[in-house]
Amino acid sequence: MPDWKKLVRKRLQGSPRVCRQDVIAELAAHLEETHEHACASGLCETEAIQLALREVGDWHALQAGIARARTEEDFMNHRTKSLWLPALTTFLGASLALMLCQFLGMPPHLLWIHSIGMTFYWPWLASLPIFGAAGAHLSQRAQGALPARLAAGLFPALIMLIVMLLILPICLAIDGVQFLQVASFGLGLINWVALPAFALAIGTVPFLKPEPRRSQ
Amino acid sequence: MTKRIRYQISRGSAELAILSLLAEQPLYGFEIARQIGERTGGRLQFTLASLYPLLYEMEKRGWVEGHWQANQAGRDRRYYRLTASGRRQLGPLRQEWRAFFQALDTLAGVSHA
Repeated sequence: MPDWKKLVRKRLQGSPRVCRQDVIAELAAHLEETHEHACASGLCETEAIQLALREVGDWHALQAGIARARTEEDFMNHRTKSLWLPALTTFLGASLALMLCQFLGMPPHLLWIHSIGMTFYWPWLASLPIFGAAGAHLSQRAQGALPARLAAGLFPALIMLIVMLLILPICLAIDGVQFLQVASFGLGLINWVALPAFALAIGTVPFLKPEPRRSQ
Repeated sequence: MTKRIRYQISRGSAELAILSLLAEQPLYGFEIARQIGERTGGRLQFTLASLYPLLYEMEKRGWVEGHWQANQAGRDRRYYRLTASGRRQLGPLRQEWRAFFQALDTLAGVSHA
């Protein structure tokens, strides 16, 4: 019986993307099984090898087809297209909108609860559904699954949540547990996570239904 | 132009065949090719050159997911299973092909040929 891995590697030599170990192992396993089935059906060794090789079709087409699939995969994989790029778009848009509000000198609405101040940038919050929609739409276009579309649309709020969860233990470690700090943290969560998440969700929700099929 | 149309038809039908099979159970490359050949009476047949580039492309799109696992004989094989995204493609793809055959039937009477 031929060394199928060696044979496949030799026939596909040239492109490192095609000559990946997993690809060679998979193709060799296919040929090996074809050969075994041919032998079991009564063909002699030579005929079985020839039959297995005929199963390949065109080696050049195989090499080119795999190279094409793998090259595009290496360039940008599915997760990048369906999650990271849309999420980054949402985040960038929301950040720029907040910067613009501050640059244009739009005063935040200040609300005092006891001695804790909450700042609301209403124009910024009003703009967030647009960015949530943009992220979720990009994810939907890239065939993103429901969690990916949701995460892409709500990404800025998720980032703020992570940042706040990282800050809280540090503050508590420095100043000890104080009511005022915990209360500020709770209000901060509403101010910078819950409200933006709600605004982003308004734009995200319409893109959570199954995506239309991409044309071939 | 004709070549391009033929390519699109064969590619689309191959996608439908693979997705339909994988909707039943996870399979590895050899089994996919064997079952398609057997169940279509040999009318649809895959070579390695037509099967694997398509599988890798479908994997890239997130329609199928490959993982190594030992088969019944204890040998490592790369099994492909349908993802949720792949399952969502199946219904519209079936509809498209049904519409395509109905249109062709209206035009050329292929079901009576």
